[in-house]
Amino acid sequence: MMVIRQRTGSAIEFAEIEPLEQELLWQIVSVFEAPPDPSVEDRLFSAPANETETEFLSDWSDYVQPELRRLFLSARTLVKEDLGALQQGKGRRSRLKFPVEHGEAWLNTLNQARLALAARFHFTEAELSSHKLPRAFTKRDLVLVQINFYAAIQERIIDILEAQA
Amino acid sequence: MADTLQEPKTEVRLDVPWNVVVHNDPVNLMSYVTLVFQKVFGFSRAKAQHHMLEVHCQGKSIVWSGLRERAEFYVQQLHGYLLLATIEQSE
Repeated sequence: MMVIRQRTGSAIEFAEIEPLEQELLWQIVSVFEAPPDPSVEDRLFSAPANETETEFLSDWSDYVQPELRRLFLSARTLVKEDLGALQQGKGRRSRLKFPVEHGEAWLNTLNQARLALAARFHFTEAELSSHKLPRAFTKRDLVLVQINFYAAIQERIIDILEAQA
Repeated sequence: MADTLQEPKTEVRLDVPWNVVVHNDPVNLMSYVTLVFQKVFGFSRAKAQHHMLEVHCQGKSIVWSGLRERAEFYVQQLHGYLLLATIEQSE
């Protein structure tokens, strides 16, 4: 089972990564290679005010949204580059190390992925907070596992960043 | 009879502050929301957790009030962290 720890020299290390976990790590960025989905777009670029604020909403769409798009892409690009350093360890397990300064980009990208998956598969709040094991592993059940796996990584990175503050 | 000046009909309420409201989202982690509040507003951990719990339990929390321009800036920052945030004028 994957271990996430802070290494000396201000690095975060994912060690003892199992093949399934490695596949899920790669999918953090490939989530965004799926065809565009309006529900994902609506969640990642939610409205900043109610509809009466027409001028503000128009300016937001013209100027702020492209900035947000660039910000999200920049975080994903950094994570993708870090993932390129995934190293095969002894046996079937691999490891990954990246600078602790990349922690925020990882948090942001993991959040993008979780929000996108939750929106695309229309998960309810009850499903997202359920800890029941599914009776059969449908595609939807596996995506929920994926969302929870990313949440666990986020929690650990937050612990590391908070310990640094 | 001398002309009299009419009172303007439009009321500009410059004194009414704008609120930055964060709305509940089942996906964003509680620890993540707390961290974002600390980063964006410089809140202490206790204050950030208080607002995070308000969002979680009551569906939303007013995390900041003041001038509109600043409120817009904060909403933009929060959207950068993918939180559901809006600006609303105080009642």
